[in-house]
Amino acid sequence: MIGLVQVETTIDFAALVREHQSMVFSLSYHFLHDRDLAEEVAQEVFLSLHRHLDDIKSPEHAVFWLRKVAAQRSIDATRRRKRRPQVSMEEVAEPSFRPSFQDPLLRDILKRLIATLAEAPRMVMIMRYQEDMEPSEIAAALDMPIGTVKSHLQRSLALLREKLQRRGVGEN
Amino acid sequence: MDWLEQELKQALRREDPSPGFEARVAAAVGRPASPRVAVMPRWLPAAAAIAIIAVSGGAAYRHHQGVVAKEQLMLAMRITAGSLNHIQSHVKESR
Repeated sequence: MIGLVQVETTIDFAALVREHQSMVFSLSYHFLHDRDLAEEVAQEVFLSLHRHLDDIKSPEHAVFWLRKVAAQRSIDATRRRKRRPQVSMEEVAEPSFRPSFQDPLLRDILKRLIATLAEAPRMVMIMRYQEDMEPSEIAAALDMPIGTVKSHLQRSLALLREKLQRRGVGEN
Repeated sequence: MDWLEQELKQALRREDPSPGFEARVAAAVGRPASPRVAVMPRWLPAAAAIAIIAVSGGAAYRHHQGVVAKEQLMLAMRITAGSLNHIQSHVKESR
């Protein structure tokens, strides 16, 4: 007699929070450029995950779900705040000396420049360079055509390159 | 991957939330959802008052119309009775 075997998949919520807190927080933090608000958003994302725990089919699905919801909630938060861009291009301080490669100052300028991008390209850039996601993965997470993702990446990189060159970084 | 993309990876590397984040999430999950308080719309009392006034006003108006009609009927009957008395007296005199 062949009995039915019920396979139970128990998703450990605490383990998911522990494992993915830096991913969720950083997606939000790099997008919002505000630590307190990013923590609020990250907490909302995990509370939402807890409510939808039954829908999570696998650890990979959890990662996909968390990235997608973190992106949505971060965009919602920035719209609620109604202060986009938080950092305008003009506010990004001109350094008194040229930042060099692998310089914390250059990374700080880059973060600020990214914070000035429009919502969609900003999130695309963060997913690409924080999470190392492929354009097809970003397209799936943001419900966006892959061509749009690639276009946002190219334009944003060109814009950042131009802004940095104006500051004397990356010139040949 | 060129220098800019390398720098972006460094600039956008993951960071940890403040200490105690996990505990705060656990506490928020364990916290019962705040009871929903039925909030009465501000316009509802005013609308209810208007409805009551309209209904009672309508009833009062109908009552008033009934009283007026009754008075008119009584007046008509008095006039008719007066006329009949007058005719009757004329008839008696002519005999």
